[in-house]
Amino acid sequence: MSETLPLGLDPSLIGTEFDSSTSAPVAAEEIREYAESLGETHPAYFGPNPVAPPTFCVRFRGNRFFHPSISRQAFFRGFDAGKDIQFGAPIRAGDVIHASNILHEVYEKTGRTGSMVFIVSRQTMTNQRGEMVARIDNRFMLRPKEET
Amino acid sequence: MSAGSLEIGHEIPRLEIVLSGDQVRRYATAAQMPGARFFSDEVARKEGLPGQILPGNMGMALLSRMLTEWLPEARLEKLGVTFRGIVRPGTPIVCSGFVTDRRDSDAAVELECDLILEQDGERRITGVAELRLDRS
Repeated sequence: MSETLPLGLDPSLIGTEFDSSTSAPVAAEEIREYAESLGETHPAYFGPNPVAPPTFCVRFRGNRFFHPSISRQAFFRGFDAGKDIQFGAPIRAGDVIHASNILHEVYEKTGRTGSMVFIVSRQTMTNQRGEMVARIDNRFMLRPKEET
Repeated sequence: MSAGSLEIGHEIPRLEIVLSGDQVRRYATAAQMPGARFFSDEVARKEGLPGQILPGNMGMALLSRMLTEWLPEARLEKLGVTFRGIVRPGTPIVCSGFVTDRRDSDAAVELECDLILEQDGERRITGVAELRLDRS
């Protein structure tokens, strides 16, 4: 078993929280604007007490996107590879959302263009009642170092 | 639409849309995604891109909109996407998908779907979704 993860990261970092944040109460206007910007027409997203479209949860980005042990330079070589979202209680106007980010997984894959490192951050969001509203696994892919 | 007709292979009604640069800026603002590449052709080109691009989250959210328009009463339980290429305003976007699995219980019908977002004939985002339709 390897003693370090890709990028020389200490395996004990897996599962550690690197960011947490708490939002202001969600405004009905913010939900309406998000829904309208996508062309959504479902009546639940509008009116005085709306429910947010499921993907509204991506707004709660916290203060930092990646673990501080990973260099900014490494991230400049990378891009957003995708995400997996598990939805819980719907977000409603007036909700206060707490978001916690942990380093979930770091792994290497070899493709046609060489070796690539994937960093997975797990963001868990809860509302003021302690209900999970969403859990997002964000995958970030780092390109191999350029040889020049 | 009744759950009875939603068999494996059922095609989700497509969502076809051409977004303006202003619409992308509006989404990026509403989603609190301040990256300059989502706002400006000029800055995006300096970053080596062909011009302004959509946030990956916006493409994903269009796939979610397609599901909501298809089954307004369903609950989206999971959504997973892989970003395979950039998506740009000003060129048609086609979202599509189909049912890949169905589970029936006394309480609900649960569906799994494959999702695709294409632009210029290329798959730019692929994904999977799980939806639940309560029986009532």
